[in-house]
Amino acid sequence: MNILVFTKRVPATQEEELRLISDGKDVDFSKLPFKVNDWDNYAVEEAVKIVEKGGGAVTAVSIGSAESDEVLRRAIAMGAKDGFLVEVDQALHDPFARSALIRNFIQKEGTPFDVIFTGVQSEDDQFASVGGILAALLKLPYVSMVIGIDSVEKDHMIVRRELEGGLQERVRVATPCVVSIQSGINEPRYVSIMGIRKASKVERKSFKGTDYDAGKDAHIELVQWTYPPKKGGAQMLTGELGDVCAKLMEILKEKGVYQ
Amino acid sequence: MSYALIVAEVRRGIFEERNLDSIGICAQLGKETAMLLPEGQYSFNEKMVDSIVKVKAGEEVFLNPLNMAAIIGKIAETRGKPDFIVFTHSSSGTEAAAYTAGIFGFPVITDVSGYDKERGVFRKSYYSDKLFGEFKTIGESAAVLTVRSGSFKEFAAEKSAAPNEVSVEDVPVSDSRTFVEYVEEEKTDIDITKADFLLSVGRGVGNKDEIPAYEELAGIMKAVISGSRPVIDKMWLPKARQVGTSGKTVKPKVYLAMGISGAFQHIAGMKDADCIIAINKDAEAPIFQYAHFGVVADMHKVRDALKGILKG
Ligand SMILES: Cc1cc2nc3c(=O)[nH]c(=O)nc-3n(C[C@H](O)[C@H](O)[C@H](O)COP(=O)(O)OP(=O)(O)OC[C@H]3O[C@@H](n4cnc5c(N)ncnc54)[C@H](O)[C@@H]3O)c2cc1C
Repeated sequence: MNILVFTKRVPATQEEELRLISDGKDVDFSKLPFKVNDWDNYAVEEAVKIVEKGGGAVTAVSIGSAESDEVLRRAIAMGAKDGFLVEVDQALHDPFARSALIRNFIQKEGTPFDVIFTGVQSEDDQFASVGGILAALLKLPYVSMVIGIDSVEKDHMIVRRELEGGLQERVRVATPCVVSIQSGINEPRYVSIMGIRKASKVERKSFKGTDYDAGKDAHIELVQWTYPPKKGGAQMLTGELGDVCAKLMEILKEKGVYQ
Repeated sequence: MSYALIVAEVRRGIFEERNLDSIGICAQLGKETAMLLPEGQYSFNEKMVDSIVKVKAGEEVFLNPLNMAAIIGKIAETRGKPDFIVFTHSSSGTEAAAYTAGIFGFPVITDVSGYDKERGVFRKSYYSDKLFGEFKTIGESAAVLTVRSGSFKEFAAEKSAAPNEVSVEDVPVSDSRTFVEYVEEEKTDIDITKADFLLSVGRGVGNKDEIPAYEELAGIMKAVISGSRPVIDKMWLPKARQVGTSGKTVKPKVYLAMGISGAFQHIAGMKDADCIIAINKDAEAPIFQYAHFGVVADMHKVRDALKGILKG
């Protein structure tokens, strides 16, 4: 089975301060570290696991700046056969525009595949939409929130979708199809620096995003960025660590959970 | 007629509470509402919508995105094109929303948690709520939205008249994706929903080797240990200990969150705790917006200091 898996390079924002610039028209990324989107890491692992067991090949594809080559090398180090970079010089905020570009790329390049994997969402924009729009544009069936692949047959797969509160739904989906992978589906393998260095020797193909522009006009427009709306906010405990912890213990006693 | 089509989410015969947020945003948009429901009886206040469209299909057919797009196409033929198609921001809602947008070439904005009437812009979360993007749709076609639970329900109100009810028959059913069965989570003997005091660790814990020291602290404090999704995904703690939309909803007396950023899927599972205490080394972490008490510090240092005090 040939699997195309999409992987994205995203800023690691969890521990960083995010600053708006140009009156909220832009976010300052200049000081942020970047990483592979967590969900895509699970998707690459799942694709590699499937071909290791049943044969075929995994091709990793990334849409982004030249630096996105990083996540392709990473995917190759994990077991992908090759990597394609579709280079765009500006982030495409609209998931529709991204999906249309991917559709054009796949159709124009005649990239063969049996299944397309994406992560459920990307950490930065959390749209969770590219897989679904892409499936519709390619007229393929779609399943998202996939937390388990029970079996891969010649013309279909049996997968489990994660719903809310611990419930899952088992569905049968005909191939070819688009599948969006949920985090926790597997244990992504460890990638060493050595592994990435070795992967650098595998040729990655680069394409120009502007060659796949047809019908990818944006349907939505980003007006501006804002900081989160302020809610009540916490009472912050400050001071020496020992004093702060003593205050914490007082709170626990007051709330009756510690005597 | 100008109207908004609400695709209701029902699961195992239950009308999900978060549908009220879909109704609420339509009130904000000033649109008449038609609510799509699969066959069956549901308990909710029907007077909150203008019309109910009952689809002659069970929920497993209805919630399938391939079928849903076809159902929406059928409705647009008879009722005219809606201005908005509104889904819940849930597993099935988001899945069907994106697919529907792709089929019809409609704009889509997901995880909408705010709407500015004057400027006509929708607000959606970026970077787990560290920033928000304000979006407008371009062009005249219907916009597809998924709505964050808890964001708009206060605007859902009763209308003066009872809704009219129509039904849709001959639902096109896809055979390229079909429902097999529901699968329940394995039963375990840990039940974090019963605990009065939860010590919850997030990705900030760093690695698996740190977990035993938190278990020890929980033991001394008589707290039950729980975690955010990444900690469970990495199998550092078992699934039964996950707090959040795809884990458990908890309401302890005290929820002590260490190294958890405060993504909405996590907050939704613990926001009703009597007292939330957050420890995070990032002063801008969104969880501080929901917590009652906060400490900006390295969680490991706090852990060790607490242990020091408790062991006396
Ligand atoms: C469909 C779906 C369902 C989901 N369901 C759930 C769910 O049920 N539950 C859930 O939790 N998530 C869920 N998520 C994931 C959610 O979106 C977030 O990715 C997740 O909650 C983030 O977990 P976290 O806060 O532990 O990690 P991060 O967001 O990575 O945050 C880590 C935090 O730790 C802090 N930190 C780092 N080091 C330290 C240190 N030494 N001391 C103190 N602080 C430190 C950082 O500043 C940061 O704020 C779901 C996502 C999707 C798409």
